[in-house]
Amino acid sequence: MKSEEKNIKVALVGNPNVGKTSLLNHLAGTTLRVGNWPGVTVEKKEGKTFYNGYTIYFIDLPGIYTLEPLSEDEYIAYRFLTEEPPDMILNVIETPNMERDLFLTAELLELGIPMVLVLNMIDEAQKLGVDVDTERLEELLGLKVVKTNGRTGVGIKDILTAIVETYEKKITPKEIRYSEDLERLLTSLRESVKETKQQLIKKLLAHKEYLHEIERLYGKPAQQVIRENRFAFAHGLYNEVVKRKPITSTDITTLLDRFLLHPYIGTVVFFLIMFILFKVSFDFSKPFMDWLDGFLNDFVSPALGLALIELGMPDLVLRFFSEAVIGGVGFVLTFTPLIAVIYLLLSFLEFTGYLPRIAFLMDRVMHRLGLHGKSLIPLLLGFGCNVPAIVATRTMESKRDKLLVIAMIPFMSCPARLVVFSFFAITFFKNPALVIFSLYILGIVIALITAITLRKTILRGSLEHFVMELPPYRLPTLRLLFGVVWVYLKDFLYRAGTLIFAVSILIWLSMNLPPGVEKPEDSIAGKVGKALIPIFEPIGIKDWRVSTSLIPAFLAREIVLSSMATIYLAEGTKKKEEFSLSESAKEQLFGLLSATKEAFYSLINPLPRTFEVSEEYSNLRSVVSKSMDELSALSFMIFILIYTSCLGTISVMWREAGKKFALGFLIYSFLMAWLSAFIVYKVGSML
Amino acid sequence: MNLEDVKVGAKVMIRDLKGKEEVIRRVEAMGLRRGRSVEVLQKLGRTILLKLNNSRIVISKDIARNIYVE
Repeated sequence: MKSEEKNIKVALVGNPNVGKTSLLNHLAGTTLRVGNWPGVTVEKKEGKTFYNGYTIYFIDLPGIYTLEPLSEDEYIAYRFLTEEPPDMILNVIETPNMERDLFLTAELLELGIPMVLVLNMIDEAQKLGVDVDTERLEELLGLKVVKTNGRTGVGIKDILTAIVETYEKKITPKEIRYSEDLERLLTSLRESVKETKQQLIKKLLAHKEYLHEIERLYGKPAQQVIRENRFAFAHGLYNEVVKRKPITSTDITTLLDRFLLHPYIGTVVFFLIMFILFKVSFDFSKPFMDWLDGFLNDFVSPALGLALIELGMPDLVLRFFSEAVIGGVGFVLTFTPLIAVIYLLLSFLEFTGYLPRIAFLMDRVMHRLGLHGKSLIPLLLGFGCNVPAIVATRTMESKRDKLLVIAMIPFMSCPARLVVFSFFAITFFKNPALVIFSLYILGIVIALITAITLRKTILRGSLEHFVMELPPYRLPTLRLLFGVVWVYLKDFLYRAGTLIFAVSILIWLSMNLPPGVEKPEDSIAGKVGKALIPIFEPIGIKDWRVSTSLIPAFLAREIVLSSMATIYLAEGTKKKEEFSLSESAKEQLFGLLSATKEAFYSLINPLPRTFEVSEEYSNLRSVVSKSMDELSALSFMIFILIYTSCLGTISVMWREAGKKFALGFLIYSFLMAWLSAFIVYKVGSML
Repeated sequence: MNLEDVKVGAKVMIRDLKGKEEVIRRVEAMGLRRGRSVEVLQKLGRTILLKLNNSRIVISKDIARNIYVE
């Protein structure tokens, strides 16, 4: 038995919001993966399942209303279906809106690819009194029709059966018949029996004489005639197979919209939801992140060290594994709870149908800034942490809007920066709160300048005409939410995680090489730090210890303080503490319990705890105050604010917007940071 | 009369769509076609929320201005 013969490639095609993701989650389960379509930021989902001796591969195409390539999404779908046709199309239809969806079905049927028609959300249709005669539909189109409920998974098995049956019996749908004159012209263009209707139409549209002939016959342009024929097909078919019972049910969507889309109440509710989103994602996951960090550094790392000593490894190897490798893994893992919670909450908002409503509600404010209404969520999340904020831009459809917001987020000042700001502001200024507040404002100003510049240069393009569908409110199942979160988390760990891990190891090496280095001054990082001084001198940073601390701080900004402490105070190695495996294990367990308690407690506490800063580094304070002055401290804070000294941010940017964009942005942020710090420093020196 | 001038709560029938070809194609594929009746649910800023059969569609007013109704 050859395995190649037993593969069926199936493409899921349908309008947006028809429940394809949820079906795919049922069909492909844990094999589901996300990626991007080649060269674009449009998401691609794939998965497979085994059924009746077949391996069925599913590829999810972007949700589209028409195959005419108008936007990027349609272009992707069109190219995929015409250039590498799958064995079969799984055309998913939102049964309550069947007539609209059948327009795309007509276009898909023209391709001549075998098809299984899925009438999804059949439960909602029944409630609305839409009753479909599936047998009649099967007979008219000459294909298998399956009724499903994507929420509960009813009918999933029938889809698989229908796919295999269609494949084995080579069921091909009947050709659609359009109006007589059009059919006559199409037939006259036929050169071989293999030609599909889509190819004939394409040929017809390329012939001037035919175009004139159609215009003469119908009195309208050919494009429009063909479209109207498709509409007529959809309309006719719908009336033939659907019986409508007049049902007057109270519509929950209408009711909810009355509040959630109300100009005032809706706005208040939005900010309330935003507050909860912020609170749950940052405050709830923080105790777990801290615990994970401690678990790896205080337990796994010394335990591994112990084991390596037993094996008689040299000190550098030992430290490489226990500090660099565990540290790197730990660094990736600390993001994991945060990313998981953000994905969970955003997916919830998306599947319930609330997310597109935010775009509608917030459009009146955001469009003045040239931004999409949806961009408010990622931008606000940026104040909590830039990494999940960039991740959250995946809910934006247009590539231009998405890139614009991704380029703004890193200037939203996050708590990591607050830690650095409060250290310097308290050390050097009489009114630290005012200084910190001004820095937050400066960040927003830089973000707006960036957006305006991008809009006038590489991300030009008119503010798109706003067209969007608001799906009815639906309650997603936990199974779907967790399924989706798992898929994205896997992708994050694989794509952003590997980069974070690799760079964090490189940075460790730069601090610890050449072998046997004792003082930070002699390490590679120290030498680079000294070499960088000419660059930093014009912005008031003349001390190599400050510039060197920026190298490890590329991992995350708050590291600037701990690395300064290491370099200034030359507290090179930490004191070796007595380490007992069993004692430590017990401690970690209790740590996890108290982290859980703290996480849930933080949910009750109404204030965001993310912004609480604890007093540390008092030794460092006195030393630093001698080596810098007010002005150079301010300049340094501005530099830290604007320069994207954050590996996590750059990694997700790389993943979401591409390598070029991420590296380009890194350079841009460095230049902007330098320039702003330079201006402030020079103006300050003159005063 | 065009769709922009329709009062909230009113149900109207679409007579004609004008304007840019690609915009027309998009809104038509979403179901806004000649002969369809739509209800204006809400107007907010530069957008209008419409109900059409069982779906809700938001379009900006510059598109609504080019949709002629009665």
